[in-house]
Amino acid sequence: MRGADYVVKRSIFALVTVWVAVTLNFILFRLLPGSSVSGLRCQACTPQFKEALIKEYGLDKSKWQQYVTYLGNLLHGDLGYSQVNNIPVWDAIKEPILNTLPMVLVGTLISVVLGVFCGILAAWRRGTLTADKLNTWTALAFYAAPTQWLGLLVVFYVAANLGLPVAGIRSPDLGILSTPSTWEVVSDRARHLILPALTLGIGLYGEYAIVVRSSMLETLGEDYVLTARAKGLANWQIIWKHGLRNAMLPLVTLLALSVGYIVAGAIVVEDVFSYPGIGLATIDAIDHRDYAVLQGIFLVLTIAVIFSNFVADLLYFKLDPRVTT
Amino acid sequence: MSTRRPLIALVAAALVVMTAAGCGTGASNSTSGSAGTVKKGGILNIGTTSGIDSLNPFIAIESQAYNAFVMEYPQLVQYGPGIKLEGDWATSWKVSNGGKTYTFHLKPGGKWSDGVPLTAEDAAWTGNTIIKYKDGASAVLAAALTHVKDMQAPNPTTLVVNYDQPVGNALPQLEQFWVLPKHVWDKQVGNNGKDLKTYRPEQHLPTVAAGPYTITSYAEKGTTVFKPNPYFYGPKSNAAAVALTYYTNSTSMIADLQAGTVDFVDQVPFDAASSVKNSGTFNVDEGAGAEVTNITFNSNPAKPKNRELLDPKVKEALEYATNRQQIAKTVFQGFAFPWANLISKQSQGAGWVNPAVKPLPYDIAKANQILDGLGYMRGSNGIREVPATTGKYAQPAHQMSYDMMVPTSLDFSGQREFDIIANDWAKIGVKINFQNGGDSQQAYAIETAGNYTKFDMALWDWVGYIDPDFMLSVLTRPQWFSWSDTGYSNPAYDAEYIKQGTLTDFKQRQALVWKMEQQAYDQRQYIQLVNEELVTANAKSWTGFYPQLGAYCKCYYTSPHQS
Amino acid sequence: MSSGPPDQIVPLNEANVVVGPDAPAEIAVGPRSLMRTVLLENRAAMIGTIILVVTTLIAIFAGVLAPHSTTEQIGPVYAPPSSKWWLGLDDGGVDMLSQMIYGARISMIVGFAGAAVAMIIGGGVGIVSGYFGGRTDIALMRITDYFLVIPDVPLMIVFAAVFGRSLLNIIIIIGIIYWTSTARLIRAQIKSVRERVYVKRAQSLGAGHNRLIWKHVMPQVVPLLVANTVLTIATAIFAETYIAFLGLSDPTKSSWGRLIQNSLSGGAIFHNAWWAVVPPGLAVTVVILACTMVGQALEDAMNPRLKVGHLSVRRFRVRPFSARLDTR
Repeated sequence: MRGADYVVKRSIFALVTVWVAVTLNFILFRLLPGSSVSGLRCQACTPQFKEALIKEYGLDKSKWQQYVTYLGNLLHGDLGYSQVNNIPVWDAIKEPILNTLPMVLVGTLISVVLGVFCGILAAWRRGTLTADKLNTWTALAFYAAPTQWLGLLVVFYVAANLGLPVAGIRSPDLGILSTPSTWEVVSDRARHLILPALTLGIGLYGEYAIVVRSSMLETLGEDYVLTARAKGLANWQIIWKHGLRNAMLPLVTLLALSVGYIVAGAIVVEDVFSYPGIGLATIDAIDHRDYAVLQGIFLVLTIAVIFSNFVADLLYFKLDPRVTT
Repeated sequence: MSTRRPLIALVAAALVVMTAAGCGTGASNSTSGSAGTVKKGGILNIGTTSGIDSLNPFIAIESQAYNAFVMEYPQLVQYGPGIKLEGDWATSWKVSNGGKTYTFHLKPGGKWSDGVPLTAEDAAWTGNTIIKYKDGASAVLAAALTHVKDMQAPNPTTLVVNYDQPVGNALPQLEQFWVLPKHVWDKQVGNNGKDLKTYRPEQHLPTVAAGPYTITSYAEKGTTVFKPNPYFYGPKSNAAAVALTYYTNSTSMIADLQAGTVDFVDQVPFDAASSVKNSGTFNVDEGAGAEVTNITFNSNPAKPKNRELLDPKVKEALEYATNRQQIAKTVFQGFAFPWANLISKQSQGAGWVNPAVKPLPYDIAKANQILDGLGYMRGSNGIREVPATTGKYAQPAHQMSYDMMVPTSLDFSGQREFDIIANDWAKIGVKINFQNGGDSQQAYAIETAGNYTKFDMALWDWVGYIDPDFMLSVLTRPQWFSWSDTGYSNPAYDAEYIKQGTLTDFKQRQALVWKMEQQAYDQRQYIQLVNEELVTANAKSWTGFYPQLGAYCKCYYTSPHQS
Repeated sequence: MSSGPPDQIVPLNEANVVVGPDAPAEIAVGPRSLMRTVLLENRAAMIGTIILVVTTLIAIFAGVLAPHSTTEQIGPVYAPPSSKWWLGLDDGGVDMLSQMIYGARISMIVGFAGAAVAMIIGGGVGIVSGYFGGRTDIALMRITDYFLVIPDVPLMIVFAAVFGRSLLNIIIIIGIIYWTSTARLIRAQIKSVRERVYVKRAQSLGAGHNRLIWKHVMPQVVPLLVANTVLTIATAIFAETYIAFLGLSDPTKSSWGRLIQNSLSGGAIFHNAWWAVVPPGLAVTVVILACTMVGQALEDAMNPRLKVGHLSVRRFRVRPFSARLDTR
């Protein structure tokens, strides 16, 4: 069967990619010269202390044994132990991940809505100076701009005018003196989330705008659209029925493929906005040379990206009959 | 913003006259503010760019964690207005047995926040436990109890501290001793004390505290909430709660200060200080901080390479070629001043700063003259050359080109400071290369590598205490691999260090301390650069701050109130 | 149809063309004149070329052009732009214009060198894979596919954190992360060239692999490689700003990325010093747009297959991009 076969093939590919990433992770942190010991935190740093640490973390065993142990631990969901924070790596990154998710979702939503709108506008008024050219080039410029720089501009020019918080994930005094209502918690979270999400959104909407525009252009020139127009269908009906539907396929698959880039954007955006998510955790791990946490974050992000690529493949397969196994 | 010393800078406020009615600390026992008019309640929001790394005193490093311990745990004595030591939990004390026994009388009636009575037994247990594991788990806290033999609690309100020899600075040292709840911690001494380091108070909130606050919510990268402990023996918090919020960068912290989300910033970053000050919307306080930045030289007598850097004369030339004024003006944006002493200006009021130790003027010609006089002539590329030497440490002729290690964890721009120094030293034919030092621990590993034989110089800083003991100790041989960052080793100096600690007569000790400061200056294990200022800012909706006291006083959090 | 792994199941990514058979990309005119034609006829590409040439010249002659030192203080902290310093001063009282000019040098070095490393690795893999086909092709393309999926920025962070911060390291890191798209593109091109008659004939006449590759295959591939490299320059410059922002760049070398980072850490915002914030990001944006205009115009002209509708999901090189810049 066409479907099952494809799914199996893609699943195997995804799993093997995860294994490659895991192995790469191991090689980078353990096999490269000097990295195993220099990666160790040692506060006193006397030779004896270092030796004891090496024993404790099993670094005196053969590389192969270490690799097998590492794989075994990962299979049990054990991402390792952060010597800097003295807690399991998973505990160190769990909360940041949960903090990042809503921000990234809202950011993606903003970028899709903005992208679809600008794309439709550009296609519909094709060739015009403002609605098409300026619109498209603005989208491209935002897309080419470093995300962290956009974040700084948002802090500089937007935040003060809107009176929105530029740091953190919640008001410091929320819930200290009284138990806040669910509404208060949600609206407070939303206020803190909107600026980083907006930054992410305007940094990424360009690609959606371009996709929507070009796919709309193709459809709008087709005979049946012209017929529809002749039949007196309203503009929005034509856009919706013929144009946008056609754009859905590339848009949806692209969305799944962009996860890696959304993650990358989130890392720097969080730094600008002091947003305690996975990006801030990454920066913290870099600052403290917490290689265990860095490894864990890398693995989690990689698996997320591999998974979304997998989903993209399946979607594409389902939506586009031309793809065969 | 971690620096080498865990404690936040305590400001030299000896000359600052406190206007409000006292700090409300133990011995004076006055209430803060003008009586009766203090508006209670509200949440005091404090912003910081360095988080509380742990609530466990045996492993915490960052300054904000130490602030939290002051707020949570009783101290025998603490600093009050005028930077004078006064009782916190202790009401009075007497010295006996030739200076070897201190007997403290403690305030009765205090309780831990879980309702268990606070007694002298808690203090004795904490002290004896720290002493017992001082070579292991409790090493971080043991410095405060140097020479303490044991502690005893003859009754719930009396604590006896026994020393094995008379000690000149017992009280200032004890100021750094926090009393922990015995009924919580005595279950954590397993594994030969190692479990002390693995216990996580943050997983058992609210913390059990007998100070003015307990911590009810903790987030290293978020907000930590201090709520009043109703059983505190001293003056209680004016605010209904204190919320300490961590920011990754000063930009967002200052934005929140301007937006009114933050009421108080207790260390305004140097790059933000002038704009906060000029905005006119905040009360800004500046004072000399305890942090002195320096150029650290490897001073290990057995250093194998570039041994000309052991020569005080060479370093004198380097000092002449260092523009302290420009560093203060640019790197610290004016919030620092030239300084040459190992001991910071904060200790001046207490009499520990030798006035004879002064910075050399910036004088390139003089520096060139000294190096010319030593016979280090410029090569074709403008860099001076050191002639070959013979003997045990024979070295071929080589250029005066060195790596200068700069840690990333500085609270100022190390890159800028490096640039200024490199530009000036190039004018005297000395080349320095930027070496990235990583965070404090990585940087310290670079300095200590190969038993202090690998590095040449570093750009770093020290945050000392009021009492000079600690800063003098960092040059001693026993501090190798713990606080020594120079590898200096001189038995005569070590003997003097031990002696100054035992002199109970102030004048005698002062004379010796001053002598040691002068020696250190002449030897130039460090070229001290500037003394940082501590800038605090608070919203005008709050008042009653004691910025000069830093978090050395429990009033630092308890006194502020809404205006 | 060619041998090798079935094209249809490779993951949907990069320059991976899912649609249609391997239509031969015939380059009718000589590659050099083609490039000239494209650049002259496409206005956007021409503007892009001018921008790139000017930036490169600024980078090369930074020493002559920069009015001041990039380390020395020449005036008050955050002095606004004036006739003495056109772009104002930064948090250390250092001239922004001079830093921008020298920053162009570092950013362009990272861009060109990083792209060159990617081109060498990716081009090599692509040529070997496409030319020899068979098991070599399968193995190399599998490896490429795996690397293609691993997210670039987290991998970059890990590399940079482990190997330490130096300009050379950053160039190598960028090179070894961005070679994959080049490899795929070149492989596809080579395969189609290889199938063409004259290569087959040359082979039957007994020419060796070396001669075949250099004489007959390369001329058909080089223009595409050039176009791809131009696009990779944009990616490299963009990636460098990320690395710099995370504090993993060479602390002694001031790039545009570092200037952006410095504007945050130096508190330019609460000094209202827009001149320290805006220029570096703007420069990055403009150069990346320029690279994209040039690279895509070249690529489209040389590889019309890529123009097959919106379904050919391919990237803008900086980040995923499914459509081309439709500038005509």
